[in-house]
Amino acid sequence: MIAKKVLLVGNFGVGKTSLIRRFVLNQFSEDYISTIGVRVSSKVVAYENQEIKLLIWDVAGTSGDEKIPKAYFLGASAAMFVFDVSREETYLTIDQHLASIKALSGLQNITIVGNKKDLLSKDELEAVLAKITVKIDLITSAKEDENVEDAFLKLTAQALK
Amino acid sequence: MKKPTEDNKKDNRFELLRELLLEDDREKFTALSEEIIEKEKLSKRVQPLVDEKIEDLRQKFPEYFGDTITETIKVQIRDSQDEVVEALYPIMGKLVKKAIVSEITKLSDNINRTIQEKFSLKQILTRFFKGKNNDAGVVLQEVFEPIIEEVFVIEKDSGLLAGNFTRGNIADKDMVSGMLTAIKSFAEDAFSKENQNLEDIKFDSFQLTIKNFKTIYIAIATSGVLNSEFRDQLADNVNNLAEVILRDRTYLKDELKLNALIETYLITQN
Ligand SMILES: Nc1nc2c(ncn2[C@@H]2O[C@H](COP(=O)(O)OP(=O)(O)OP(=O)(O)O)[C@@H](O)[C@H]2O)c(=O)[nH]1
Ligand SMILES: [Mg+2]
Repeated sequence: MIAKKVLLVGNFGVGKTSLIRRFVLNQFSEDYISTIGVRVSSKVVAYENQEIKLLIWDVAGTSGDEKIPKAYFLGASAAMFVFDVSREETYLTIDQHLASIKALSGLQNITIVGNKKDLLSKDELEAVLAKITVKIDLITSAKEDENVEDAFLKLTAQALK
Repeated sequence: MKKPTEDNKKDNRFELLRELLLEDDREKFTALSEEIIEKEKLSKRVQPLVDEKIEDLRQKFPEYFGDTITETIKVQIRDSQDEVVEALYPIMGKLVKKAIVSEITKLSDNINRTIQEKFSLKQILTRFFKGKNNDAGVVLQEVFEPIIEEVFVIEKDSGLLAGNFTRGNIADKDMVSGMLTAIKSFAEDAFSKENQNLEDIKFDSFQLTIKNFKTIYIAIATSGVLNSEFRDQLADNVNNLAEVILRDRTYLKDELKLNALIETYLITQN
């Protein structure tokens, strides 16, 4: 079986761990236990008739322009940048963040995911998306299990490219 | 008449010199050869006597030299105590060990049963009765015997597990090797200067030894007391294993094949 290392990065508290928990265990918790360092989970996914083992690195959230250790990106096949649609500071400088992640990881494409969709109304969400200049891949809710599977499939596809 | 050339003159002088030197040598030679002939005659007569004496010496050696030798050894010991201690140490070590073992054996009756699985009395006893003789020295060795519990061969960058060996049952070995790599990256990033590698992680009852190679690293979890002999042997075996893997990279793509290789190099060898 092919195994691929993928990474989830983004501001603290945006819901990286929650997305992984939903995807791997199909569970959700309102409690916020901030990740320290890295947590690695694994899940076998079926993608285009083949089985792929994803090793998902859940990297502790950053704040401001804090850098992620370069070593974490080594050997990664894909990365997902997660922001929180309900917190402006998590997407305001998204361009800079992406540029820095691309430079660190050497990855060309980063899957971009806006999480906590359930906290905004349709109109509010549209207003937020209008402010973001980069192309967003998926808007998710770990809490209500919306688009989570799709977000990881997108990431898998990215990893296999 | 031809005037002698320079070379000719030189030749003559050389002749003269040779004459002078050899004259002397010739005399010496005759004297020497006479002496040798004389000696040969003598030796024919003496040889049987010498042989007899040697035989006598061989048989009565202790009688003739015993005291002298004892005295010599005494002096030697006094003058080179360090060397003597070194020579005796292994023997004394065994005696001391035996004494400690008998104490430990008494103690072990009281060992708390909640001690971790690996060091449970039951485990100690099974190791103890593993078929070896009941010699006290063996007990100590067995109780603290270093044992390879787990082996992980991991791709250095990605942390993806290429192959492993386990005595227990690891729930998610892929996750473990990922976490291990993450911890390693973290520690190397946070505490070390450039190009430093994490090598050992110690826990109460076991330790993790990490051997870094260019594209892979091998993590070995061991329990027991790692003596230097075991460490050396392990390092050798790990190097040999890595050499095989790195020379034939198909091992990194075939987990079962690699698992078998790990077992051959690290488990059956030790
Ligand atoms: N309403 C809502 N809350 C969410 C969602 N996803 C995560 N949360 C909550 O947001 C908080 C932070 O979630 P985490 O998953 O721990 O965030 P994180 O990105 O892993 O945070 P760090 O580990 O600190 O970087 C938790 O209280 C979650 O319950 C979501 O989709 N909707
Ligand atoms: Mg987290």
